Amino acid sequence: MRKKDKSAAPAQEFGQSISVSCANLWYGELQALREVSIEIPARQVTAFIGPSGCGKSTFLKCFNRMNDLVPGCRVEGSFRIGQTDIYGGTDVNALRRHVGMVFQKPNPFPMSVYDNIAYGPRTFGVRRRTELDEIVETSLRQAAMWEELKDRLGRSALGLSGGQQQRLCIARALAVRPGVILMDEPTSALDPISTGKIEELCEALSESTTIVIVTHNMQQATRISHKTGFFLLGELVEFGDTDDVFANPKDSRTERYITGRFG
Amino acid sequence: MKASRIRETAGRAVFAAAAVVCVAAVVAVFVFLIGKSLPAYGKLGVWEFVTGEVWSPDRLDTYDAPLSGTYGVRTMIAGTLTATAGALLVGGVLGYFTAVFLAFYCPRRLRRPLSAAVSLLAGIPSVVYGFFGIVFLLPLLSHIAPNNGSGPLATALILGLMILPTVVSLCRVSMEAVPQAYYQGSVAMGATHSETVFRIVIPAARPGITAALILGVGRALGETMAVVMVAGNAPAYPEGLFGSFRVLTANIVMEMGYAGEVQEGALVATGVVLLAFVLLVNLLFGAVSGRAVRAAVAREGRGRAAKPGHRAAKRRAEASPAGAPAGTSSAAASSAGVPSAGVPFAGALSAGASSAGIPSASASSAGMAAPASPAPRRRAGRRRAGELWQALPYRPVLPRLGHGAALTAGILTGGALLLVLGFIFAKGLPQLWQNPSLIWGKYEFGSHRITVLPAIVATLWAVALSLIIAVPVGVMAAVYLGEYAGRNSLPVRIIRTAIDILAGVPSIVYGLFGMIAFVPLLGGSGSILAGSLTVSMMLLPTVVRSTEESLRAVPDALRQGSLALGAGRLRTVLRVVLPSALPGILSAVVLSMGRVIGESAPFLYTMGSVIGPLPHGVLDGGATLAVALYQLSGEGWYMNEAYAAAVVLIVLVLGLNLLAEGCGARLERRLKGDCHAKKR
Repeated sequence: MRKKDKSAAPAQEFGQSISVSCANLWYGELQALREVSIEIPARQVTAFIGPSGCGKSTFLKCFNRMNDLVPGCRVEGSFRIGQTDIYGGTDVNALRRHVGMVFQKPNPFPMSVYDNIAYGPRTFGVRRRTELDEIVETSLRQAAMWEELKDRLGRSALGLSGGQQQRLCIARALAVRPGVILMDEPTSALDPISTGKIEELCEALSESTTIVIVTHNMQQATRISHKTGFFLLGELVEFGDTDDVFANPKDSRTERYITGRFG
Repeated sequence: MKASRIRETAGRAVFAAAAVVCVAAVVAVFVFLIGKSLPAYGKLGVWEFVTGEVWSPDRLDTYDAPLSGTYGVRTMIAGTLTATAGALLVGGVLGYFTAVFLAFYCPRRLRRPLSAAVSLLAGIPSVVYGFFGIVFLLPLLSHIAPNNGSGPLATALILGLMILPTVVSLCRVSMEAVPQAYYQGSVAMGATHSETVFRIVIPAARPGITAALILGVGRALGETMAVVMVAGNAPAYPEGLFGSFRVLTANIVMEMGYAGEVQEGALVATGVVLLAFVLLVNLLFGAVSGRAVRAAVAREGRGRAAKPGHRAAKRRAEASPAGAPAGTSSAAASSAGVPSAGVPFAGALSAGASSAGIPSASASSAGMAAPASPAPRRRAGRRRAGELWQALPYRPVLPRLGHGAALTAGILTGGALLLVLGFIFAKGLPQLWQNPSLIWGKYEFGSHRITVLPAIVATLWAVALSLIIAVPVGVMAAVYLGEYAGRNSLPVRIIRTAIDILAGVPSIVYGLFGMIAFVPLLGGSGSILAGSLTVSMMLLPTVVRSTEESLRAVPDALRQGSLALGAGRLRTVLRVVLPSALPGILSAVVLSMGRVIGESAPFLYTMGSVIGPLPHGVLDGGATLAVALYQLSGEGWYMNEAYAAAVVLIVLVLGLNLLAEGCGARLERRLKGDCHAKKR
């Protein structure tokens, strides 16, 4: 019973909405985020758009504290997931378990498909084979690749195509039952068909999971997101319902960006 | 959660402890070198020591009393420089052309055997080369020499043969790393294969070739046993082709067994002089070609990741938006390059070419250089090739000579290997056949019946023990440096520099260290444990550096992927990073294994050189196979036994290499996760 508890239900201490106020972030001397405040609703897709180097990925990585790994990186402000202040003495590994991440380039581990997906659950103490089997199957089904992969679970994940690898990474993230999934330009290295599959996946997952996605592709933002935030030079210029942001932007900078006049 | 935090902290502590052990080893060697040599330098005077021409030590000299011996190493510095220059002349030239042959002229069927032969040459222990020198080269040379054949010529030949593999493999890597597009671009313009190879491809690989030669020099400088066996070792200047002379390393190994107080200091001081030379070479290596080599290595690394075809395609894709179609694709080069800039240039040269009786097809290859010049920054190497082309007078004979030289070098290298192995096996195998007790016989005290079984056992003990010590410590220290400590924090940089210096310390200096530091500690006479400790210190830098290198090659994306799943540092390192780095670590282990088997200088006075009974424990001494071979051949009484020992030694090294290769291949498959198929 205890083990089940460890693996299945999302850790109760975290919620699924994200609220940030007055976030500032420095890389050494360089200030990468200025006074960012945002309320990201639970179980929706939120997209961050903006030109390269505007701080959207940096901001995203604050949510699971991957920025801790960058030497010289300093974060200020309040970051809450649900009611938990994630920078206030939270166990960072528990946080990352709850806030999954998918990277720009697919990064499957050099192991079998099965071991890739089982990596997370094993990290948190799931050892029993039947339980792991179940998690692997569920995660792959959620990522809509069970049918493609069920016969090659023992084969190396490195042999999959780029699109499959990226979906495998999503499945891997799902295997620890996260409440939030961060996606950092997950489709920028993929072909249109794989991109389409991942976008469908996002929509399906958003029924149960909060998804925050950074994208360079504005069409993608309009296609899949409920909320959109526009970043420029480390500031959150505009944030609102995706339809509003794209149809009648309030800020002239947003308008110029989405009509393709800079960036 | 709490348990995991404890585990994390414990893991970190263990890795840090390993790093501390490494640092302690480095510090110990430095303290030893400085502490032992400073009094000697103080007593003898640095300048007098380095420039003194007479070496005639008195083992009764002490620091408190006036000296009765004379300590000057100038003749040996001259000896070391001569030997190194000779080795470079033989091994460098032969190696360079062998690499050319392997990379560009070798028939496909010969390619694998020949490159296997070269790596085989690298695996042969230095005593075996020395032994070959004694039993084959010296008698041969004595026909034309006034003495028994020993001297600079024999040393150059043997040392040259020893640095050959280093030169060949590194040269070849950098030659083959030159993008195919350069070759195709030149050939597409009508240049012959040889012209292209010598005018375009090799100039582009020059930095790597320089580096290869410098590394060869480094190896020649530190070599001990092979030189000792063929140089003659009288402390005199090397003169002419023949005549006894002594190198710095030989000085140490000849006298450390019975050195007195001042003499010992002077020997350590000799080691310091030697180390200074090695460091100079390393600096040179870093300064001359560090950047270019690193670039080449990086290119090589990428090449291994992507398939060659992909690589070429990618380069083309990179280049075309940059507005340099002439730079990469061969078809574009001939169509776009030649008509515009190429023609006047080619025309100017065609006169010279046709007067030399070369059809205009090859003259048009002169146009090669022209389309290269508008190419953007990345093709700096190619532009250099172009400039070089323009600077040289057009001599169509050169490439053909080069072709001939490459062919000759290929044959010579293959021949040399066959000769060394063939000669030793031809003499040794019948011995083993007729007299199997050479291997399996029981040692009897006082008899003339020699058996190498104890030596084999001692060798295996030493291999196992030194790997057990060096590999975990080295790997864990590297993990600490690479995964835990800040990448470029000051202490880490200091440690890394220290380890780099340590890697340059010649093996004989470790032997000296072990003899003075470990042997008294472990009972005063040589033991397997003392020898293994000594050698594991010698292995540490190699293990640390290559582990770090392979850790660095693990993409950060994997670490982040694991951390983002909520795994801690420790689990990330153990489950994701280290497995990915395993092939690199394994090859370091194999390398170390070969080194332990092949080394004799550091064992000679730490493990003892007695070919005695079977060792019963790690505190027993005994000659390793390599030391046994040195002893047997040096005395001249037991040549047949020496042949047998040489055969066993070679077989052991080769067998281990094969084994490791097999393991490596299986590991490679498992690493990708393919092996243990998990069927539901």
